[in-house]
Amino acid sequence: MATKPISEPQSASSNKAYYGPEDVNGTDYAREIADPGTFPFTRGIHPEMYRKRTWTMRQFAGFGSAEHTNERFKYLLGQGQTGLSTAFDLPTLMGRDSDDPLSLGEVGKCGVAVSSLDDMRRLFDGIALDQVSTSMTINAPAAILLAFYIAVAEEQGVGPDKLRGTLQNDILKEFHAQNEYVFPPRPSVKLVTDTIEHGTNEMPLWNTVSISGYHIREAGANAAQELAFTLADGMSYVEHALERGLDVDEFAKRLSFFFDVHNDFFEEIAKIRAARRIWARVMRDKYGAKLERNWWMRCHAQTAGVTLTEQQPTNNIVRVAYQALAGVLAGVQSLHTNSMDETLALPTEKAVKVALRTQQIIACETNVTQVADPLGGSWFIEQKTNEMEAEANAIFREIDDLGGVIGAIEQGYFRRCIADSAIKQSVAFDSGEAEVVGVNKYVEDDYERIDVLKIGEDVEKKQVARLTQMKRDRDAKRHKESLDALTKAAADDANVMPFLIDAAKANATVGEMMEVMANVFGRYDGGPEW
Amino acid sequence: MVTKSTFGPLKQEEFNDELFMTDHPIRILLAKIGLDGHDRGVKVLARSFRDAGFDVIYTGLWQTAQSTMLAAMQEDIDVVGVSLLSAAHMTVMPEVLRHRKELGIENVPVVLGGIVPEDEHRLLHEMGCAAVFNPGSSIDSIVEKFKALAAQRRRLSFDEAIAGYKSKNDAALGQLITYIQRDQLDNGWTPPDGSAKVFGITGAPGVGKSSLIGKLGKAMCEKGFKVAVVAVDPSSPVHGGALLGDRLRMMWGEPGDNFFIRSLSSGKQYGGLGPQCAEVIRALNGYGFDYILVETVGAGQSDVAIRDVVDKTVLVLMPESGDSVQFSKAGIMEIADMFIINKCDLPGADATEGQLKSAIDANRQICRVSTVRNEGIDVAAEHLLSQ
Repeated sequence: MATKPISEPQSASSNKAYYGPEDVNGTDYAREIADPGTFPFTRGIHPEMYRKRTWTMRQFAGFGSAEHTNERFKYLLGQGQTGLSTAFDLPTLMGRDSDDPLSLGEVGKCGVAVSSLDDMRRLFDGIALDQVSTSMTINAPAAILLAFYIAVAEEQGVGPDKLRGTLQNDILKEFHAQNEYVFPPRPSVKLVTDTIEHGTNEMPLWNTVSISGYHIREAGANAAQELAFTLADGMSYVEHALERGLDVDEFAKRLSFFFDVHNDFFEEIAKIRAARRIWARVMRDKYGAKLERNWWMRCHAQTAGVTLTEQQPTNNIVRVAYQALAGVLAGVQSLHTNSMDETLALPTEKAVKVALRTQQIIACETNVTQVADPLGGSWFIEQKTNEMEAEANAIFREIDDLGGVIGAIEQGYFRRCIADSAIKQSVAFDSGEAEVVGVNKYVEDDYERIDVLKIGEDVEKKQVARLTQMKRDRDAKRHKESLDALTKAAADDANVMPFLIDAAKANATVGEMMEVMANVFGRYDGGPEW
Repeated sequence: MVTKSTFGPLKQEEFNDELFMTDHPIRILLAKIGLDGHDRGVKVLARSFRDAGFDVIYTGLWQTAQSTMLAAMQEDIDVVGVSLLSAAHMTVMPEVLRHRKELGIENVPVVLGGIVPEDEHRLLHEMGCAAVFNPGSSIDSIVEKFKALAAQRRRLSFDEAIAGYKSKNDAALGQLITYIQRDQLDNGWTPPDGSAKVFGITGAPGVGKSSLIGKLGKAMCEKGFKVAVVAVDPSSPVHGGALLGDRLRMMWGEPGDNFFIRSLSSGKQYGGLGPQCAEVIRALNGYGFDYILVETVGAGQSDVAIRDVVDKTVLVLMPESGDSVQFSKAGIMEIADMFIINKCDLPGADATEGQLKSAIDANRQICRVSTVRNEGIDVAAEHLLSQ
C-alpha cells in the first residue's frame, strides 16, 4: 500500500491510477520542456548535467567557539573538500552579541558564535580565503558578517574580487517562516539590495543571495507554496536591484536558490523542474536579461529535516536517501543530506558520515548520473510539472493583488498560508490519514537509543570573557566614529556596506552595528500572525 | 495513540470534563523563550487548543522566563506551555520555575515541549515540570494532559482573592478578574471606587493597536503612573475558544514596573467587548491604577459599544486605511475623542492626515506615530495624560 506523504494530501489531479499522452496534450516540447541546457531549462541548466561534473556535496557545519569550527574546517579541507559551509549560533543569527542577555544558554549551541572581527579572524585562521569557497548561512545581520569576511580577507592580502562563496542573505523568507528578522520588511530589503549592489561592483565571484524555500517548507508550506513564495521572493529582489539602477545582466547570475526535498518523490522533482522553467521565463521575458547564464535557476537542495523522526531514528537514513535521490533526479547543483540524529541534537560525526555516504552511493553506484533529466517525458512528471507551474502562477497573482511580496508580508498572507498548511498536515497526521512509519504506523514500544552530541557550557563563558576583553582593549574613539558614520549612512539612505566594513575594522560588534541601524530602520515585531 | 513522552499515561480519575465548560474556557499560555524562532509546532498547538475550546494566550517569539511567568500571573493562567527547540531547556526551565516561585504562582503547572533527550525527562520532572512532550506527540494527548492539569490546579478561593486584592497582590488581582469575568462574584462584592482615567483604543485590524498600547503604556509608566491594559479578542463562534494574541505586541517590563496586562475573550458577545468587561475595568480601577487602556476587537465602523465603558475613545488609523468617504460614513468617527495615525513610517501618512482633518471638526487631536521607529510616542502619551 502506498504511504501518503505527511506533506499534504495530493491534489485531485494527481489521484489518477496512471497517466497517458492526454495528460500532457498541448504541452509543446520545444516551448515548455526542451533539451537539457536549452531554454526554458525545465530539464536542467546543462546538457551533460552530472556526466560532466557531479553535484557539490556540501554539508552544513558549525558549533561551539570559532576555534572548534576552525579545526573542523581544516579537517574537512584536509579531506579534499573545497567548500566550507558555516552555521552560526542563534544569537549571531539574530544580530546579538554573545554577552547579550537574550543570548543566555544559546552561545555556540546551534552553530558558531561570531560577535566581532576578532571571532571571524579566528574562524578562518590559517585558511587562505582565495583558495576556498565559503557559504555563510545568515540573514538579518548578513551584511555585517560579509563585512567581517571582507576585512579578514584584506588582512590576508586577498582582495574582494578574489572571494568566492555564498551569503544566504534572504530576509524575505525570515518574515514568512524562519523568524530571524530584526528590521521591518522595507529597510531589510534595502539592506539586501545594498549587498547585491556591493557584490556586483566589488565581488564578481560572490553569490549575494541564496533565495530559500527550505525554511518556508519546513515551517509547514506545501510544495506549490514553497515554489511560489520562493520565486516571488527572488523576483522581489530582482525588482529592488533594478530600482537601484543595477543592470540585470550584471547581478542576476549571482542569485541562487535553495529548496527543500520532501517526501513526495515525484512532486518534489516536478517542483524543481517547474522552478527552472518559471525563472528562465521571468528573467528573460519580464526582466529582460540577455545573457543565457542569467536565465538559469541554479539551486542547492537539502533533504527535509521535518520528515525525520525521533522514533526509530535509523529509519531516517532511508528517508534521507529517497529524498536525496529525488534531488539528484531533479538536477540540483548542490545537496546537503540530513543526518539521522537531527531531530535529537546537532549531528555526531558518525551520523554526518552516513549522510555524506548516502550522497556518494547515489553518485558512484546507481548510475543515475549517466543521463540528464532521466524522468523527462514521463507523462506523469510532465503533467505534474505543468500543475506545479499553474499553482505557482495562481499564487503569484494573489501576491500581486496584495501589493507584491512586501505588501503581502505586511498583511500576514504568507504566515497565514503556511500556518493553514501546517494545521492540515497536523490533522492528517493525528487522524492517521498521513502515515509516518514508527510514529503512527508500525510503532514499537522500546525506544531505540543513539548517541547524541552535547555542547559544553564552558564555550559561552569563554566567549563572553573574550568579548568583554576585546571591548575594553579597542580604540574607543575610532569605534565611536565608525558607528556614527554608519548611523549617518543609514539615515541618508546610502549603501551601508563600506561603513559596515569600516566599523568591522574598528572592532564594532554585530550587536552594536545592528543597534545603530535599528535606531534608524526600526525594529519589527512581526506582522499579523493568524 | 499513547504518548510515551509524558510522565506515565493519564489516569482516568485525572479527567474532569465537567470542569471544562464552554462558558468558562480553560486559560492557557503558550510561550517561546529565547531566540529560537521555530514556531511551527506552537502555532499548530495554539490553534488546536482554541478549537478545543480553550482561551489561548500566545506570547510570540523572544520572551524571557520572567516575562512568560509574569504573563501567567497577570492572565491567571491554568497551564503554561513552553516550547523550546534550541536545546536550551536545561538552562531555561530552571529559570522559568524560579520566576514561578518568585511570583508566588507555584500552583500553575508548567509543561515543556521540545527536543528533550530521554535522560533529561526525569531531571525536568524532578525540577518541577508537570510534563514533557517531544515532537511526534499527538495533539489529542497534549490537549488531554492540559485539561487534566488545569482541573488539578488549586486556585485561590473567592475570599482569598479578595483579601489578596486588598493587599495589592497582583496574582490575586489576576485570579479575581477571572471570578469577575465568569460572573462568579459572591455576596454582591463590589470593588472600591478608583480615580483612573479609562481610554478605549479602537481601530481596524492591522493598524497596530497592540504595539501602540504597549509603547504608550511604557511611556506613561515611565512618568510614574500605574497603567493597566485590557485587551479583548474575539472568541471562535464554533468552538468557544479564543486566540488571544494582542499581548505579545504589548509586553515589556518586569514585576514592579506597574504595568498590568489582561487579555479577555469576547465570548458570545458582539460589539467589540467581552462579558463583564465593565466590571473588570472597575476592579482594575479600584485596585489603584491611574490609567486603564482598553483595546477592543478591531471591528471598525459600527463598533461603538466601547463608548459606554470608557471615559475617552481613541481611534487608531494607518496610512491608506481608507479614503475620506469611508471616514465620514463611519460611526466610530463621531465618538472618537482623539485620533492616532500609526505606521507613519509608511508612505501616505500626509494624505491620510489631510483626509482625516477634512472629515472631523478641528478641536479633536490628531497624533502621528510610528511604533517601529519609536517616533511620536511621547507626544501621543502626553496628549492622553492631558485629556
